[in-house]
Amino acid sequence: MSSQWSILFVDDDRDFLDAQAAYFSSRGHTVHTAESSREALDLIETTIPDIIFLDLMIEHYDSGFRLAYQIRRHEHLDNTPVVLLTGVARETGERFDQEDEGLPRWSRLDRFVDKPVTGRQLLGIAEELLAAKGDQGA
Amino acid sequence: MATARILVIDDEYGVRSGIRQILEMEGYEVEEAATGKEAMTLLHSSEYDVAFLDYRLPDIDGLTILQMIRQDELEIMTCMITAYANIDTAIAATRQGVDFFLPKPFLPDDLLGVTETLVRHKQARSEAERLRKEHEAGLLALAEEKTQTHSLISSLRDAVLVVNKDGNVVLVNRAMAAILDLPDDETAPRPAADLLGAGPLASLVEQLAAPQKDRTIGQLSLGERSFMTSIVTFRDDDGQALGRILTLSDISQVRRLAMEKERFIRTMVHELKSPLGAIRSLIEVATDKSLGDNLDSYLPMLQRAEGRIDNLVQLIGDLLSLSRSEQTESRGELELLAIEPAVTGALRLQAERIAAGRIVVHTDLEAGLPPILASSDDLDLIMSNLIGNAVKYNRDGGRLEVRARHIGEWVRIDVKDTGIGIAEENLDLVLTEFFREKRSETRDVEGSGLGLSIVKRLVERAGGRLEVASIQGEGSTFSVLLPA
Repeated sequence: MSSQWSILFVDDDRDFLDAQAAYFSSRGHTVHTAESSREALDLIETTIPDIIFLDLMIEHYDSGFRLAYQIRRHEHLDNTPVVLLTGVARETGERFDQEDEGLPRWSRLDRFVDKPVTGRQLLGIAEELLAAKGDQGA
Repeated sequence: MATARILVIDDEYGVRSGIRQILEMEGYEVEEAATGKEAMTLLHSSEYDVAFLDYRLPDIDGLTILQMIRQDELEIMTCMITAYANIDTAIAATRQGVDFFLPKPFLPDDLLGVTETLVRHKQARSEAERLRKEHEAGLLALAEEKTQTHSLISSLRDAVLVVNKDGNVVLVNRAMAAILDLPDDETAPRPAADLLGAGPLASLVEQLAAPQKDRTIGQLSLGERSFMTSIVTFRDDDGQALGRILTLSDISQVRRLAMEKERFIRTMVHELKSPLGAIRSLIEVATDKSLGDNLDSYLPMLQRAEGRIDNLVQLIGDLLSLSRSEQTESRGELELLAIEPAVTGALRLQAERIAAGRIVVHTDLEAGLPPILASSDDLDLIMSNLIGNAVKYNRDGGRLEVRARHIGEWVRIDVKDTGIGIAEENLDLVLTEFFREKRSETRDVEGSGLGLSIVKRLVERAGGRLEVASIQGEGSTFSVLLPA
C-alpha cells in the first residue's frame, strides 16, 4: 500500500466535500466526491477507491446503509474500508446502536464516526484502517 | 322537667283533680280525661310525656288504652293506677307495655317520685329515638353518597378496577369494562385472575395481588393506545389493607406529542450540526494551510463558511418564529391592516434577488379590499416568506404574481411563481417542519425548511387557511385566505 490513497467521499453537503477534497489533496491523495448514492455508484464503476467515507443521511435517514451494502456487492470493493459518518447517530439511538458489537458485522461497515468531524480525525482513521488492511494483506 | 305534659285518665273526679293539684304545684302541665274515648281523642290530638290511667273506666278499660297506645306507636310513658292491684292485672298491664304501676291509695310524694322518674325516662327515650332517626337519615345520606360515588367512578375517563383484600374484583367502571370487553359496569365479585387472566391486562394480575406494595406505576400498550397504569393499596383508618385500585389513564395523545417533539428536536439538531460540520471543515482547510501560503486561495471557502453561518442565523431566527407561531396569542397587537403595505414591504426585501434573477413582478390587488385583523408582524412574516419562496424557487427571467381578491367573507391572496414547482407526492409534506425537496434544482437554494410551517401556523392563528397548488416544472401558487 502506497501512502497515496484514492478516497471517495459521499455526502450531500457540497461545502463538506470541497473542504475534505482540499484537505486530502494537499497531502497528495486523490479525492473523489459524490453528492448522491447514484453518483457514488456510477463512480465506483470506473474508480476503485482505497477507502470510502459515507454520510448516513444522503437521500434518506438510512441511505448510507443501503449504499454501503451496494458498494460491498462490487467485487473490487469487497475488502475496502467503509466508514459511516453520522450526524444523528447519537441523537436517534433507536435506529442503531453504535456500541452494538454485532453492528459492523451485519452492516459490514468498518467504522462509525459522529459528525461534525475534522479532516485530521478522518486522516487518522484512514491511516489506521489502511494500515490494518495492509497487515492483513501481508 | 317543668314543661312535661301529663294526662290523667280516671273516671273519678276526686282522683283526677287530686293528681292534677299535686303535679301542677310542681310545675307540670296536666290535662284530664274521664272516659277511655276522651283519653284516646286527647292522646291523638296532642303530645304527652306521661299518662296516668285507671284500670277501670266506664267505656273501655285501661288495658285497651295501653294496647291502642302501643298500636299507634305513641311516644308516651304510662303508669297504671288502680285500687284493685293484684298480680293478674299487673301482669296483663305489663304485657301491654305499661311502664309503671301505682296502687291506690298513694301518697303525693309517691306520685311525684313516679312522675319524675317517668318524665326522665321519657326524655331519655325521646333522645334515643332522635338519635336513631338521625342515624337512619345518616345511613340514607351515606347510601345516596355511595350511589353518587359509584356513578362518578363509572363515568371517569380513566379505567378503574377495584380488588378487595381477598383478591376479588368488586368494581369495574365503564371505561375498564370497555377495555376488558365486559358487558357493563356491574360485575359480581370474582377473582382478579379469572377476570383478567386471559385478557389484555393479564400482566397486571400478579401486581394486583401484592397489597404490601402501596403504589405501583407502569406503562401498558393496548393496540394503538398507551396507558399509564397505577395500582394503589387502600387502607382503613388502622392501616389495614382493604384492597387495591387499578387505574389506567390513556396517555396516547401525550405520547404522540412527545414523540413528535422528539422527532422535531432530532431533526433540528441535525439541521444545526450539518452546517456546523461544513463550517468546521471549511475553516480547517485554512488552518491546515491545505491550499498553500497565499491567503487569497482560501477566500472562496471562507466566504462559503460565512454563507453557512448566515444560514444558521436565519435558521435560528426561523426556529424562534416557529416557536412564537405555536403560541395561541400573537405577540403583536391585533389591528385592522391593509394588505398592500405588507406586499410592498416583502417585495422591497427581495428587490436585489428579483433584479438578479430578472424576475418580472406583477401585483394585482383589488381596489377597495377590506382590511384584515392580524398583528402586523405576523402579516409581514407571512408575505415575506411566501414572496421570498416565489423568488428563491423561480427561474431566471420567471414571473411572480401577487393577486388579492375579496371573496365573500374572505380576503384571498395568491402568490404565484413560474418556478420549479413541487412534486405531486410532496404537496402535503411541504408544510411540515424541515421538509425540503431534494432535487437537483433545489440543491443550491438555501432554506431552513421552516418557512411554510411558520406561515401555516400564523395564517391559522389569524383564523384563516393556507392552500398550495403546484405543478412540478411549471410553478406553484400559495393562497392565503384570511377573514375579511
